[in-house]
Amino acid sequence: MSNIITATNLTLSYDKEDEVIKDANFSIKKGDFVFITGPSGSGKSTLLKSFYGSLAVDKGSLVVGGLDMVDIKKEKLQELRTHLGIVFQDYRLINEWTVEKNVVLPLWIAGYSEEVQRTQSERLLHHVKLSGKEKKYPLELSGGEQQRVGVARALAKNPFLILADEPTGNLDDYSSNVIWDLMENACHQLDTTVVVVTHRIPMVFNIPYRHFTIDEQGSVYEVH
Amino acid sequence: MKFIKTHISLIFPLIAILLGLEFFIVFDRTTNNYEKSLQNGYSMMVVAKDEMSIDDFKAWDKHIEQVIELEKKSILKRLEMDKNAQNKKKFEASLPNFYSLKLDSYLSVSALEKVKSNLKKSDNILNIESFQSAYQSEYELFSFIKLSFSTFIIFMSIIGFFLIVKQMEVWNFLHAQRMKVMEIFGASLFLRSKVLISMALIDAVISALITSVLFYLIQNIWVANSQMQILKENVSEVFAFSDIFILLFAAIVVVMVSIYIVIINVKEE
Repeated sequence: MSNIITATNLTLSYDKEDEVIKDANFSIKKGDFVFITGPSGSGKSTLLKSFYGSLAVDKGSLVVGGLDMVDIKKEKLQELRTHLGIVFQDYRLINEWTVEKNVVLPLWIAGYSEEVQRTQSERLLHHVKLSGKEKKYPLELSGGEQQRVGVARALAKNPFLILADEPTGNLDDYSSNVIWDLMENACHQLDTTVVVVTHRIPMVFNIPYRHFTIDEQGSVYEVH
Repeated sequence: MKFIKTHISLIFPLIAILLGLEFFIVFDRTTNNYEKSLQNGYSMMVVAKDEMSIDDFKAWDKHIEQVIELEKKSILKRLEMDKNAQNKKKFEASLPNFYSLKLDSYLSVSALEKVKSNLKKSDNILNIESFQSAYQSEYELFSFIKLSFSTFIIFMSIIGFFLIVKQMEVWNFLHAQRMKVMEIFGASLFLRSKVLISMALIDAVISALITSVLFYLIQNIWVANSQMQILKENVSEVFAFSDIFILLFAAIVVVMVSIYIVIINVKEE
Protein backbone atom coordinates (compact mmCIF):
# COMPACT_ATOMS: atom_id res chain seq x y z
CA MET A 1 0.00 0.00 0.00
CA SER A 2 1.26 3.51 -0.83
CA ASN A 3 2.39 5.93 1.83
CA ILE A 4 0.18 8.96 2.39
CA ILE A 5 2.57 10.58 4.88
CA THR A 6 6.29 9.91 5.16
CA ALA A 7 8.47 11.69 7.72
CA THR A 8 12.23 11.28 7.65
CA ASN A 9 14.33 12.83 10.42
CA LEU A 10 11.54 15.40 10.73
CA THR A 11 12.26 18.27 13.11
CA LEU A 12 9.74 21.01 13.82
CA SER A 13 10.05 24.19 15.84
CA TYR A 14 8.32 27.52 16.21
CA ASP A 15 11.38 29.70 16.56
CA LYS A 16 14.15 27.53 15.07
CA GLU A 17 15.81 27.13 18.48
CA ASP A 18 13.21 25.41 20.64
CA GLU A 19 12.60 22.13 18.79
CA VAL A 20 9.16 20.65 19.44
CA ILE A 21 9.43 17.49 17.32
CA LYS A 22 12.89 15.95 16.99
CA ASP A 23 14.14 13.58 14.32
CA ALA A 24 10.81 11.83 13.76
CA ASN A 25 10.73 8.87 11.36
CA PHE A 26 7.42 7.28 10.46
CA SER A 27 5.10 6.57 7.60
CA ILE A 28 1.30 6.42 7.37
CA LYS A 29 -0.28 4.28 4.67
CA LYS A 30 -3.49 4.68 2.70
CA GLY A 31 -6.48 3.58 4.78
CA ASP A 32 -4.62 3.76 8.10
CA PHE A 33 -6.41 5.10 11.13
CA VAL A 34 -3.78 6.72 13.32
CA PHE A 35 -4.06 8.12 16.83
CA ILE A 36 -1.34 10.49 17.99
CA THR A 37 -1.21 10.89 21.76
CA GLY A 38 1.16 12.47 24.23
CA PRO A 39 1.27 14.82 27.20
CA SER A 40 0.15 18.43 26.89
CA GLY A 41 2.70 20.53 25.06
CA SER A 42 4.49 17.52 23.60
CA GLY A 43 3.87 18.72 20.03
CA LYS A 44 0.88 16.64 18.88
CA SER A 45 -0.93 19.59 17.28
CA THR A 46 2.37 20.93 15.95
CA LEU A 47 2.97 17.67 14.12
CA LEU A 48 -0.56 17.73 12.70
CA LYS A 49 -0.12 21.34 11.54
CA SER A 50 2.95 20.33 9.58
CA PHE A 51 0.82 17.76 7.69
CA TYR A 52 -1.35 20.51 6.21
CA GLY A 53 1.49 22.97 5.78
CA SER A 54 0.50 25.40 8.49
CA LEU A 55 3.94 24.95 10.02
CA ALA A 56 7.08 24.79 7.93
CA VAL A 57 9.49 21.86 8.16
CA ASP A 58 12.62 22.84 10.01
CA LYS A 59 14.89 19.91 9.25
CA GLY A 60 14.50 16.54 7.58
CA SER A 61 11.76 15.76 5.12
CA LEU A 62 8.01 15.35 5.11
CA VAL A 63 6.00 14.06 2.17
CA VAL A 64 2.21 14.34 2.25
CA GLY A 65 0.14 12.92 -0.59
CA GLY A 66 3.25 12.70 -2.74
CA LEU A 67 4.16 16.37 -2.19
CA ASP A 68 7.40 17.37 -0.53
CA MET A 69 6.37 19.77 2.22
CA VAL A 70 9.85 21.32 2.45
CA ASP A 71 9.72 24.63 0.58
CA ILE A 72 6.36 23.74 -0.95
CA LYS A 73 4.99 26.43 -3.28
CA LYS A 74 1.88 28.32 -2.17
CA GLU A 75 -0.18 27.13 -5.15
CA LYS A 76 0.78 23.49 -4.52
CA LEU A 77 -0.11 23.81 -0.86
CA GLN A 78 -3.51 25.31 -1.73
CA GLU A 79 -4.08 22.42 -4.13
CA LEU A 80 -3.10 19.87 -1.47
CA ARG A 81 -5.40 21.42 1.10
CA THR A 82 -8.41 21.12 -1.20
CA HIS A 83 -7.90 17.32 -0.97
CA LEU A 84 -7.67 17.24 2.83
CA GLY A 85 -10.38 17.16 5.45
CA ILE A 86 -9.44 19.02 8.61
CA VAL A 87 -11.34 18.92 11.91
CA PHE A 88 -10.53 21.20 14.85
CA GLN A 89 -11.27 21.03 18.55
CA ASP A 90 -12.83 24.52 18.38
CA TYR A 91 -14.78 23.55 15.21
CA ARG A 92 -13.67 26.65 13.24
CA LEU A 93 -16.97 27.09 11.47
CA ILE A 94 -17.85 30.32 9.74
CA ASN A 95 -20.41 31.77 12.10
CA GLU A 96 -22.07 34.13 9.62
CA TRP A 97 -22.70 31.25 7.18
CA THR A 98 -25.51 28.72 7.45
CA VAL A 99 -24.79 25.11 8.34
CA GLU A 100 -25.27 23.95 4.75
CA LYS A 101 -22.91 26.63 3.43
CA ASN A 102 -20.30 25.64 6.01
CA VAL A 103 -20.56 21.98 5.04
CA VAL A 104 -19.97 22.60 1.35
CA LEU A 105 -17.10 25.06 1.85
CA PRO A 106 -14.52 22.71 0.23
CA LEU A 107 -16.84 22.22 -2.76
CA TRP A 108 -17.40 25.97 -3.06
CA ILE A 109 -13.64 26.54 -3.01
CA ALA A 110 -13.20 23.89 -5.71
CA GLY A 111 -15.85 25.63 -7.84
CA TYR A 112 -18.53 22.91 -7.86
CA SER A 113 -21.96 23.93 -9.15
CA GLU A 114 -24.66 24.99 -6.72
CA GLU A 115 -26.66 21.91 -7.63
CA VAL A 116 -23.80 19.59 -6.62
CA GLN A 117 -23.25 21.60 -3.46
CA ARG A 118 -26.92 21.32 -2.50
CA THR A 119 -27.05 17.56 -3.13
CA GLN A 120 -23.84 16.95 -1.19
CA SER A 121 -24.98 19.15 1.66
CA GLU A 122 -28.23 17.15 2.01
CA ARG A 123 -26.38 13.83 1.89
CA LEU A 124 -23.69 14.88 4.37
CA LEU A 125 -26.08 16.46 6.85
CA HIS A 126 -28.20 13.32 6.73
CA HIS A 127 -25.01 11.30 7.28
CA VAL A 128 -24.08 13.30 10.40
CA LYS A 129 -27.70 13.27 11.58
CA LEU A 130 -28.29 16.99 11.17
CA SER A 131 -31.04 16.91 8.54
CA GLY A 132 -33.38 19.85 9.00
CA LYS A 133 -30.69 22.11 10.41
CA GLU A 134 -29.43 23.30 7.00
CA LYS A 135 -30.54 26.89 7.48
CA LYS A 136 -29.35 27.21 11.06
CA TYR A 137 -26.23 29.15 11.95
CA PRO A 138 -23.38 27.47 13.86
CA LEU A 139 -23.98 29.47 17.03
CA GLU A 140 -27.55 28.16 17.13
CA LEU A 141 -26.23 24.58 17.49
CA SER A 142 -24.80 22.69 20.45
CA GLY A 143 -21.06 21.92 20.61
CA GLY A 144 -21.62 18.33 19.50
CA GLU A 145 -23.74 19.45 16.57
CA GLN A 146 -21.17 22.04 15.55
CA GLN A 147 -18.48 19.38 15.56
CA ARG A 148 -20.65 17.15 13.41
CA VAL A 149 -20.90 20.03 10.94
CA GLY A 150 -17.10 20.21 11.12
CA VAL A 151 -16.80 16.51 10.31
CA ALA A 152 -19.36 16.81 7.48
CA ARG A 153 -17.29 19.67 6.07
CA ALA A 154 -14.14 17.55 6.31
CA LEU A 155 -15.86 14.75 4.37
CA ALA A 156 -17.45 17.00 1.76
CA LYS A 157 -14.93 16.51 -1.02
CA ASN A 158 -14.05 12.86 -0.32
CA PRO A 159 -10.55 13.74 0.94
CA PHE A 160 -7.74 11.20 0.79
CA LEU A 161 -6.63 12.30 4.27
CA ILE A 162 -8.57 13.51 7.28
CA LEU A 163 -6.61 15.37 9.97
CA ALA A 164 -8.38 15.89 13.28
CA ASP A 165 -7.00 17.90 16.17
CA GLU A 166 -8.71 16.87 19.44
CA PRO A 167 -12.08 16.50 17.66
CA THR A 168 -13.86 15.39 20.84
CA GLY A 169 -11.94 17.58 23.27
CA ASN A 170 -14.94 19.81 24.01
CA LEU A 171 -17.69 17.20 23.71
CA ASP A 172 -19.68 14.97 26.03
CA ASP A 173 -19.52 11.17 25.74
CA TYR A 174 -22.56 10.85 23.49
CA SER A 175 -21.33 13.48 21.00
CA SER A 176 -17.82 12.02 21.16
CA ASN A 177 -19.12 8.57 20.20
CA VAL A 178 -21.01 10.05 17.25
CA ILE A 179 -17.83 11.72 16.04
CA TRP A 180 -15.75 8.51 16.43
CA ASP A 181 -18.39 6.57 14.49
CA LEU A 182 -18.23 9.08 11.65
CA MET A 183 -14.42 8.87 11.57
CA GLU A 184 -14.47 5.07 11.66
CA ASN A 185 -16.94 4.97 8.79
CA ALA A 186 -14.89 7.36 6.70
CA CYS A 187 -11.83 5.20 7.17
CA HIS A 188 -13.51 1.83 6.87
CA GLN A 189 -16.01 2.50 4.09
CA LEU A 190 -14.20 5.11 2.00
CA ASP A 191 -10.66 3.90 2.65
CA THR A 192 -9.72 7.42 3.76
CA THR A 193 -6.59 7.81 5.85
CA VAL A 194 -7.43 9.40 9.21
CA VAL A 195 -4.94 10.97 11.61
CA VAL A 196 -6.36 12.03 14.96
CA VAL A 197 -4.54 13.93 17.67
CA THR A 198 -6.12 13.16 21.02
CA HIS A 199 -5.44 13.02 24.73
CA ARG A 200 -7.06 9.67 25.07
CA ILE A 201 -8.00 6.89 22.70
CA PRO A 202 -11.72 5.94 22.94
CA MET A 203 -12.49 2.85 24.99
CA VAL A 204 -14.59 1.32 22.26
CA PHE A 205 -13.14 1.47 18.79
CA ASN A 206 -14.35 -0.93 16.15
CA ILE A 207 -11.63 -0.87 13.51
CA PRO A 208 -7.90 -1.59 13.68
CA TYR A 209 -5.77 1.47 14.31
CA ARG A 210 -2.18 2.54 14.76
CA HIS A 211 -1.00 4.52 17.74
CA PHE A 212 1.85 7.02 17.76
CA THR A 213 2.93 8.77 20.90
CA ILE A 214 5.15 11.77 21.45
CA ASP A 215 7.21 12.00 24.61
CA GLU A 216 8.15 15.20 26.42
CA GLN A 217 11.44 15.39 24.52
CA GLY A 218 9.57 15.53 21.21
CA SER A 219 10.44 12.03 20.01
CA VAL A 220 7.73 10.17 18.08
CA TYR A 221 7.25 6.41 18.72
CA GLU A 222 4.77 3.91 17.42
CA VAL A 223 3.12 1.95 20.23
CA HIS A 224 2.54 -1.72 19.37
CA MET B 1 -30.26 48.17 9.44
CA LYS B 2 -27.18 45.97 9.79
CA PHE B 3 -26.60 46.31 6.03
CA ILE B 4 -26.76 50.10 6.20
CA LYS B 5 -24.48 50.18 9.24
CA THR B 6 -21.93 47.93 7.55
CA HIS B 7 -21.84 50.06 4.43
CA ILE B 8 -22.04 53.48 6.06
CA SER B 9 -18.93 52.73 8.08
CA LEU B 10 -16.91 52.56 4.87
CA ILE B 11 -18.90 55.02 2.76
CA PHE B 12 -18.50 57.83 5.30
CA PRO B 13 -14.68 57.86 5.41
CA LEU B 14 -14.53 57.29 1.66
CA ILE B 15 -16.72 60.33 1.05
CA ALA B 16 -14.48 62.38 3.37
CA ILE B 17 -11.45 61.41 1.29
CA LEU B 18 -13.25 61.94 -2.02
CA LEU B 19 -14.55 65.35 -0.89
CA GLY B 20 -10.96 66.29 -0.08
CA LEU B 21 -9.84 65.09 -3.50
CA GLU B 22 -12.66 66.82 -5.39
CA PHE B 23 -12.13 70.05 -3.46
CA PHE B 24 -8.49 69.83 -4.45
CA ILE B 25 -9.38 69.30 -8.13
CA VAL B 26 -11.94 72.13 -8.14
CA PHE B 27 -9.67 74.43 -6.18
CA ASP B 28 -6.78 73.72 -8.49
CA ARG B 29 -8.88 74.43 -11.58
CA THR B 30 -10.51 77.55 -10.14
CA THR B 31 -7.35 79.08 -8.71
CA ASN B 32 -5.48 78.40 -11.94
CA ASN B 33 -8.05 80.50 -13.77
CA TYR B 34 -8.05 83.14 -11.09
CA GLU B 35 -4.26 83.19 -11.03
CA LYS B 36 -4.24 83.57 -14.81
CA SER B 37 -6.66 86.51 -14.61
CA LEU B 38 -4.54 88.16 -11.90
CA GLN B 39 -1.48 87.58 -14.03
CA ASN B 40 -3.16 89.04 -17.13
CA GLY B 41 -4.40 92.04 -15.20
CA TYR B 42 -0.96 92.93 -13.93
CA SER B 43 1.73 94.86 -15.80
CA MET B 44 4.90 96.63 -14.80
CA MET B 45 5.72 100.06 -16.10
CA VAL B 46 9.27 100.71 -17.31
CA VAL B 47 10.86 103.93 -18.51
CA ALA B 48 13.89 103.55 -20.79
CA LYS B 49 16.26 106.05 -22.41
CA ASP B 50 16.54 104.22 -25.73
CA GLU B 51 14.14 101.86 -27.42
CA MET B 52 14.18 98.29 -26.15
CA SER B 53 12.93 95.10 -27.77
CA ILE B 54 11.42 92.09 -25.95
CA ASP B 55 14.75 90.28 -26.30
CA ASP B 56 16.51 93.19 -24.60
CA PHE B 57 14.13 92.86 -21.66
CA LYS B 58 14.37 89.06 -21.60
CA ALA B 59 18.13 89.34 -21.47
CA TRP B 60 17.71 91.02 -18.07
CA ASP B 61 14.97 88.76 -16.71
CA LYS B 62 13.42 85.58 -18.10
CA HIS B 63 10.01 86.25 -16.51
CA ILE B 64 9.24 89.00 -19.03
CA GLU B 65 6.74 87.53 -21.44
CA GLN B 66 5.27 90.45 -23.33
CA VAL B 67 6.33 94.05 -23.94
CA ILE B 68 3.91 96.78 -25.03
CA GLU B 69 5.35 100.11 -25.95
CA LEU B 70 3.23 103.05 -24.83
CA GLU B 71 2.85 105.66 -27.51
CA LYS B 72 4.36 108.99 -26.58
CA LYS B 73 1.48 110.86 -28.21
CA SER B 74 -1.02 109.34 -25.88
CA ILE B 75 1.19 110.22 -22.92
CA LEU B 76 1.39 113.80 -24.12
CA LYS B 77 -2.34 113.88 -24.56
CA ARG B 78 -2.79 112.74 -21.00
CA LEU B 79 -0.47 115.48 -19.83
CA GLU B 80 -2.68 117.97 -21.76
CA MET B 81 0.20 120.26 -22.39
CA ASP B 82 -0.52 123.67 -23.67
CA LYS B 83 2.32 124.02 -26.11
CA ASN B 84 2.64 124.89 -29.71
CA ALA B 85 3.23 122.21 -32.31
CA GLN B 86 6.97 122.81 -32.61
CA ASN B 87 7.54 122.74 -28.88
CA LYS B 88 5.37 119.70 -28.62
CA LYS B 89 7.50 117.86 -31.19
CA LYS B 90 10.69 118.82 -29.40
CA PHE B 91 9.25 117.71 -26.12
CA GLU B 92 8.10 114.43 -27.66
CA ALA B 93 11.58 113.79 -29.05
CA SER B 94 13.12 114.39 -25.66
CA LEU B 95 10.73 112.07 -23.92
CA PRO B 96 12.09 108.62 -22.84
CA ASN B 97 10.41 105.36 -23.95
CA PHE B 98 7.57 103.91 -21.87
CA TYR B 99 6.87 100.19 -21.74
CA SER B 100 4.26 98.02 -20.13
CA LEU B 101 5.68 94.57 -19.28
CA LYS B 102 3.63 91.42 -18.80
CA LEU B 103 5.12 88.55 -16.83
CA ASP B 104 4.99 84.83 -17.61
CA SER B 105 3.39 83.84 -14.27
CA TYR B 106 1.82 85.18 -11.12
CA LEU B 107 4.99 85.79 -9.14
CA SER B 108 5.42 86.11 -5.42
CA VAL B 109 6.25 89.55 -4.03
CA SER B 110 9.90 88.61 -3.54
CA ALA B 111 10.15 87.21 -7.08
CA LEU B 112 8.61 90.44 -8.38
CA GLU B 113 11.20 92.41 -6.44
CA LYS B 114 13.90 90.26 -8.02
CA VAL B 115 12.56 91.06 -11.54
CA LYS B 116 12.63 94.73 -10.67
CA SER B 117 16.20 94.60 -9.39
CA ASN B 118 17.33 92.65 -12.47
CA LEU B 119 15.86 95.27 -14.78
CA LYS B 120 17.44 98.06 -12.74
CA LYS B 121 20.84 96.63 -13.62
CA SER B 122 20.32 97.95 -17.15
CA ASP B 123 21.82 101.43 -17.66
CA ASN B 124 19.18 102.07 -20.28
CA ILE B 125 16.30 101.74 -17.83
CA LEU B 126 15.55 104.94 -15.99
CA ASN B 127 12.64 103.98 -13.82
CA ILE B 128 10.42 101.01 -12.94
CA GLU B 129 6.98 101.10 -11.41
CA SER B 130 5.88 97.68 -10.17
CA PHE B 131 2.74 98.83 -8.25
CA GLN B 132 4.06 96.64 -5.46
CA SER B 133 1.66 97.56 -2.66
CA ALA B 134 -1.46 96.74 -4.69
CA TYR B 135 0.21 93.63 -5.99
CA GLN B 136 1.26 92.58 -2.50
CA SER B 137 -2.21 92.87 -0.96
CA GLU B 138 -3.76 90.97 -3.87
CA TYR B 139 -1.07 88.28 -3.74
CA GLU B 140 -1.35 87.84 0.02
CA LEU B 141 -5.12 87.52 -0.14
CA PHE B 142 -4.74 84.94 -2.87
CA SER B 143 -2.08 83.04 -0.88
CA PHE B 144 -4.25 83.12 2.23
CA ILE B 145 -7.25 81.65 0.37
CA LYS B 146 -4.98 79.00 -1.13
CA LEU B 147 -3.50 78.09 2.27
CA SER B 148 -6.93 77.94 3.94
CA PHE B 149 -8.26 75.61 1.30
CA SER B 150 -5.16 73.43 1.35
CA THR B 151 -5.40 73.11 5.14
CA PHE B 152 -9.06 72.18 4.87
CA ILE B 153 -8.32 69.58 2.18
CA ILE B 154 -5.44 68.06 4.17
CA PHE B 155 -7.61 68.00 7.29
CA MET B 156 -10.44 66.23 5.45
CA SER B 157 -8.02 63.68 4.00
CA ILE B 158 -6.44 62.97 7.41
CA ILE B 159 -9.88 62.41 8.97
CA GLY B 160 -10.79 60.14 6.07
CA PHE B 161 -7.53 58.25 6.41
CA PHE B 162 -8.04 57.60 10.13
CA LEU B 163 -11.62 56.50 9.58
CA ILE B 164 -10.41 54.08 6.90
CA VAL B 165 -7.78 52.68 9.30
CA LYS B 166 -10.57 52.19 11.88
CA GLN B 167 -12.64 50.46 9.21
CA MET B 168 -9.71 48.17 8.42
CA GLU B 169 -9.64 47.10 12.07
CA VAL B 170 -13.38 46.38 11.88
CA TRP B 171 -12.88 44.37 8.68
CA ASN B 172 -10.11 42.42 10.32
CA PHE B 173 -12.37 41.62 13.25
CA LEU B 174 -15.33 40.66 11.04
CA HIS B 175 -13.60 38.78 8.25
CA ALA B 176 -10.39 37.31 9.69
CA GLN B 177 -12.03 34.17 11.06
CA ARG B 178 -13.70 33.35 7.73
CA MET B 179 -10.54 34.04 5.75
CA LYS B 180 -8.41 31.87 8.06
CA VAL B 181 -10.84 28.94 7.76
CA MET B 182 -10.98 29.30 4.00
CA GLU B 183 -7.19 29.42 3.78
CA ILE B 184 -6.93 26.14 5.71
CA PHE B 185 -9.26 24.54 3.17
CA GLY B 186 -7.12 25.78 0.26
CA ALA B 187 -9.00 28.86 -0.92
CA SER B 188 -6.99 31.25 -3.08
CA LEU B 189 -6.29 34.80 -1.93
CA PHE B 190 -8.98 36.12 -4.27
CA LEU B 191 -11.60 33.67 -3.06
CA ARG B 192 -10.77 34.44 0.57
CA SER B 193 -11.22 38.16 0.04
CA LYS B 194 -14.05 38.00 -2.51
CA VAL B 195 -16.75 39.00 -0.01
CA LEU B 196 -14.69 41.91 1.24
CA ILE B 197 -13.73 43.04 -2.28
CA SER B 198 -17.28 42.99 -3.64
CA MET B 199 -18.61 44.83 -0.58
CA ALA B 200 -15.87 47.45 -0.78
CA LEU B 201 -16.31 47.94 -4.53
CA ILE B 202 -20.03 48.60 -4.07
CA ASP B 203 -19.18 51.14 -1.37
CA ALA B 204 -16.56 52.75 -3.60
CA VAL B 205 -19.13 53.22 -6.38
CA ILE B 206 -21.74 54.59 -3.95
CA SER B 207 -19.21 57.00 -2.40
CA ALA B 208 -18.04 58.28 -5.80
CA LEU B 209 -21.64 58.84 -6.89
CA ILE B 210 -22.63 60.63 -3.67
CA THR B 211 -19.60 62.92 -3.92
CA SER B 212 -20.33 63.62 -7.59
CA VAL B 213 -23.97 64.44 -6.84
CA LEU B 214 -22.87 66.74 -4.00
CA PHE B 215 -20.57 68.69 -6.31
CA TYR B 216 -23.18 68.74 -9.07
CA LEU B 217 -25.62 70.32 -6.61
CA ILE B 218 -22.98 72.76 -5.38
CA GLN B 219 -22.34 73.78 -8.99
CA ASN B 220 -25.95 74.12 -10.04
CA ILE B 221 -27.58 75.47 -6.91
CA TRP B 222 -25.12 77.04 -4.54
CA VAL B 223 -22.57 78.51 -6.96
CA ALA B 224 -25.23 79.53 -9.47
CA ASN B 225 -26.97 81.60 -6.78
CA SER B 226 -23.78 82.83 -5.19
CA GLN B 227 -22.84 86.53 -5.15
CA MET B 228 -19.13 85.75 -5.21
CA GLN B 229 -17.77 86.89 -8.55
CA ILE B 230 -14.85 84.45 -8.57
CA LEU B 231 -17.22 81.51 -8.11
CA LYS B 232 -19.68 82.75 -10.71
CA GLU B 233 -16.92 83.25 -13.23
CA ASN B 234 -15.68 79.73 -12.64
CA VAL B 235 -18.98 77.89 -12.27
CA SER B 236 -18.09 75.45 -15.04
CA GLU B 237 -14.92 74.52 -13.17
CA VAL B 238 -16.75 73.34 -10.05
CA PHE B 239 -17.75 69.99 -11.45
CA ALA B 240 -16.92 68.20 -14.68
CA PHE B 241 -18.36 64.90 -15.90
CA SER B 242 -14.88 63.39 -16.02
CA ASP B 243 -14.59 63.98 -12.26
CA ILE B 244 -16.90 61.01 -11.68
CA PHE B 245 -14.27 58.71 -13.16
CA ILE B 246 -11.44 60.33 -11.21
CA LEU B 247 -13.43 59.93 -7.98
CA LEU B 248 -14.38 56.35 -8.81
CA PHE B 249 -10.79 55.47 -9.62
CA ALA B 250 -9.54 57.08 -6.41
CA ALA B 251 -12.21 55.32 -4.31
CA ILE B 252 -11.35 51.95 -5.85
CA VAL B 253 -7.63 52.48 -5.26
CA VAL B 254 -8.26 53.43 -1.60
CA VAL B 255 -10.47 50.41 -0.89
CA MET B 256 -8.24 47.95 -2.74
CA VAL B 257 -5.13 49.12 -0.90
CA SER B 258 -7.03 48.92 2.41
CA ILE B 259 -8.30 45.42 1.61
CA TYR B 260 -4.84 44.28 0.60
CA ILE B 261 -3.41 45.50 3.91
CA VAL B 262 -6.18 43.69 5.81
CA ILE B 263 -5.65 40.46 3.85
CA ILE B 264 -1.90 40.29 4.24
CA ASN B 265 -2.31 40.85 7.97
CA VAL B 266 -4.63 37.88 8.39
CA LYS B 267 -2.26 35.13 9.46
CA GLU B 268 -3.20 31.49 9.67
CA GLU B 269 -3.22 30.11 13.20
